[in-house]
Amino acid sequence: MSEIVLESLGKTFGDFTALADMNLTIANGEFMALLGPSGCGKSTTMNMIAGMLRPSCGAIRFNGQDVVDVPMAKRGVGFVFQNYAIFTHMSVRENLAYGLRAQGVPTADIKKRIQAFAELLQLESMLNRRAAGLSVNILQRLAIGRSAILEPAIFLLDEPLSNVDAAFRAVMRSELKSLQGQFGQTMVYVTHDQLEAMTMADRIAVMDHGKLLQVGTPLEIYNNPADTFVAKFIGAPGMNILQGRLSQSADVASVGVPGVGSIPLSPALQSAVRQLTGPEVQVGFRPEQVNVAGAGLTMHVGLVERIGARTIVHLERGETTAKAVLPADVALPKAQSDWTFAVPQEDIRLFDPKSGQALKARTH
Amino acid sequence: MTNVSTMTPVADQPEAPAKSGARLGLWLTLPAQLLVLFIALFPILMQVYISLTDWSPLDGIPWWRAHELWIGLLNYSDLIADSRFWGAMWRTLFVMAVCVPVQFLLGLGLAVLFVDDFRGKRVLYSTLLVPMMVVPAVAGYMFFMLFQSGGPVNDLLSIFTSDPVRIAWLSDPDLALIAVMVADIWQWTPLMFLILLAGMISVPQDQQMAAILLGASWWRRFFTIVLPRMKSIIIIALAIRVIEIFKIFDTLFIMTGGGPGVATETISVYIYKVTQQELIWSYVAAIALAILIVLSVVSVFAIKRMQRGQET
Amino acid sequence: MTSIRFENVSKYYGDALAVDQVSFEVPDNAFFCFFGPPLSGKSTILKLILGLETPDSGEIFFDGRPMRDVSPPDRNVAMVFQNLALFPHMTALENVRFPLVERKIDEATIRARVAEVTEKLHMAHILHKPPAQLSGGERQRVAIARALVRDPVAYLMDDPISALDARLREETRVELRRMQQDMAKTLIYVTHDQEEAMSVSDQMLILDKGRVRQIGAPHDLYDTPNSAYVASMLGAPAMNMAGTSDAVSALSNALDIDQGTMTVGIRPEHLKVVRKDGPGRVTAIEPLGATTVLSIEAAGVTWKASLRGQPKHEIGAPVELSVDAGGLHCFDAQGDALSAA
Repeated sequence: MSEIVLESLGKTFGDFTALADMNLTIANGEFMALLGPSGCGKSTTMNMIAGMLRPSCGAIRFNGQDVVDVPMAKRGVGFVFQNYAIFTHMSVRENLAYGLRAQGVPTADIKKRIQAFAELLQLESMLNRRAAGLSVNILQRLAIGRSAILEPAIFLLDEPLSNVDAAFRAVMRSELKSLQGQFGQTMVYVTHDQLEAMTMADRIAVMDHGKLLQVGTPLEIYNNPADTFVAKFIGAPGMNILQGRLSQSADVASVGVPGVGSIPLSPALQSAVRQLTGPEVQVGFRPEQVNVAGAGLTMHVGLVERIGARTIVHLERGETTAKAVLPADVALPKAQSDWTFAVPQEDIRLFDPKSGQALKARTH
Repeated sequence: MTNVSTMTPVADQPEAPAKSGARLGLWLTLPAQLLVLFIALFPILMQVYISLTDWSPLDGIPWWRAHELWIGLLNYSDLIADSRFWGAMWRTLFVMAVCVPVQFLLGLGLAVLFVDDFRGKRVLYSTLLVPMMVVPAVAGYMFFMLFQSGGPVNDLLSIFTSDPVRIAWLSDPDLALIAVMVADIWQWTPLMFLILLAGMISVPQDQQMAAILLGASWWRRFFTIVLPRMKSIIIIALAIRVIEIFKIFDTLFIMTGGGPGVATETISVYIYKVTQQELIWSYVAAIALAILIVLSVVSVFAIKRMQRGQET
Repeated sequence: MTSIRFENVSKYYGDALAVDQVSFEVPDNAFFCFFGPPLSGKSTILKLILGLETPDSGEIFFDGRPMRDVSPPDRNVAMVFQNLALFPHMTALENVRFPLVERKIDEATIRARVAEVTEKLHMAHILHKPPAQLSGGERQRVAIARALVRDPVAYLMDDPISALDARLREETRVELRRMQQDMAKTLIYVTHDQEEAMSVSDQMLILDKGRVRQIGAPHDLYDTPNSAYVASMLGAPAMNMAGTSDAVSALSNALDIDQGTMTVGIRPEHLKVVRKDGPGRVTAIEPLGATTVLSIEAAGVTWKASLRGQPKHEIGAPVELSVDAGGLHCFDAQGDALSAA
């Protein structure tokens, strides 16, 4: 088992900076998701942990030991590729045995371990089948088993569910999660799907354009995003971010969104806005936090998406757009008409209009 | 690192075999098929016909009347008893048995070298391809000069021995064949190299990465991943060379003329001599046909293996 | 306006039935979605509509006119491909004009039609650009405009957005919906993503190995599925299915179960979970932010409950389960739905 520490890790390809100054500690046995859109640097980070890429700067430590100079084959890291990279010209058994044979494990032990893992992964009936042409479900388990059988301390998974049908993904997610529970390895999981990260990870590292934006548990990131990117990326749909203006009347501070309405600010937020230099501020609230019984904000209803258990209402007013998510049992707002709603004070988040950083209440 | 593999795990919807479309295709290509058949089949049929007669152009009758000199399978029985023929056959097989493996191993070694980038790769690549592009006859003359008793090969060998080396390569019946084989290896290793390099590059990168991450050494990877996945290409490369080397002629003939004596007389040289010098065309037809059958068997075997290989 | 109708259409691929006695009618100007797992016949049906395949039995009608001997170009159905297939060397405008120029339509008509389509799709600002300079969404609009400029009976899309990032998929499906509403043309759409299908469609057709299982508006199919199959196809997490006796032991409220019920289905959002001594035990917690999905073991069945917000629960803690009124679905031995009393 292993703790992974990334210290000031960076990677450039010529002029292009794929990753800059990444600092992250992944605890022993933790399931850490590296989450971000394509090109954010998550795969680059993972490839460096595995040893497939050499960092341009910074250090990578497994349990305190610097591994940057340790070759790929010796890092003791399990890796599941996006396309699984199964040796299709071999049988399932040969795939499982590959790593053990490469490391000179005695044949009798190999046989025992294959039997144990095949049972665990429900691959027993497939052992002698050729790996080519097997279903994705089986290939995923084989890809994991092939690495897991070596009992590595660290497991890296590169978007392993991206090739899988929407329908199967849920099944595979729970399989992966239970496997990790069983083996207890430190797992690093790369994905662009925030749902996957939220469902499976102990902690999520949100990345964009080569930078680490925030690390935290799924709920920490969901409830207190560090900036507008994280706020919008997490959640389906993501947080609504509206351009607002602070106004100070005699007793209460509120933030107004032109044409929409105004939201009174809680004391905590009132202290947070003192950091701002101007009256402009970005207001955030999550679509599902909308209170249909309240008032204070009015927008025009555009499209209404009824999707099973919930309804997504698309709202607009001039240049401003927002979405609201209502449970299926709530009365639908009428399309092409105005709709009034409120957002509870404690659910409002404020962000700096220039940097996008979340404004946090100062504790004086 | 992503999207490198060509394997798509999710099954696609099966394509409908458009029956009417296929039949139309058959009719449309029929003229071309007939043409190819004619070009390929006609000479063979002609050969079969003549080989069953005792005809030669000196007989004064046109070839289609060769049936007037019908001798049935006599040419073939003569062939079986012809010791010179068997000598030529043996020598050809010997050359093949030595040259093809050597070319293969050298080509494979070079391919391994060229899979990764290194300084001067492009220059070296172009240089390596030069032998293949040299006109075979020119190569023959070049090696003729190289292997002279006062020539560069001997000078090179003299560096390693105390006494100057003065081997008469091309006039020594035991050594002439070696000289010829060296020439062939020089000329055709690049072809092997090219084909094997193409095969090696197409081995999926991510599978090799996966093997490394599982702890496999270079050698293990080479023998368990790279070579097995190159099976089809290797068979094609070997089949091409086997068929071509069986027909070895140009370079060899310029170098030695088949000599000294019959020391380097391969099948092609033998056929040439019989045709030009003794003009027994009908007999030659029989020889050629016999060889055609042998080479066809090799080709069919290779094609079958290739088709099976495509199912990986 | 043209309605597309299939009457008992079947199609074999070799020995296997790809499409099995399929009958449906696509309403005018509807966003009509074929939904089902891979290899359920969706793409085959598209090909049958286009005329690239002919039915082995049954008839296809466009506006009452049988299409058996009508060739694909004459059917006037346009297809938008997943890779869009835009001509890279032409501008957006030239791409859109192309089908009409090909057919040698007169210039005045071309201009009129192109203007109509590009206006409806809000494309004026991108017409002069080549595809390489356009964003993914803009390119999609060009592809759709090109399909629509022929004034087709309907346009077809086969799984056009599954290859996109999750975020982009959400945005693009809304775009597609808007575009279809603006164009007021029948759009026939194939997907295997249930959320996407429910979001965009006016009507959905659920396929199971080439057979039609149910046709209707998405929320009707979701609320009143006619079979366990349809019920489990829509909704994520999938509907909980359990044998009648297991359900009765697991749930603490009185259940109104129909006669002949073999299987009981309850959607995760209709399952109420209370922290109390009960037959259930929490085995997993998935915090999704807006909702929390709990996995609960009760009566030997694993139940998934989708709770709003972020209620506190602990793994291993005992819980009591109950179901909302109207949240109970009953299915008989064949898997067909029994109507609640």
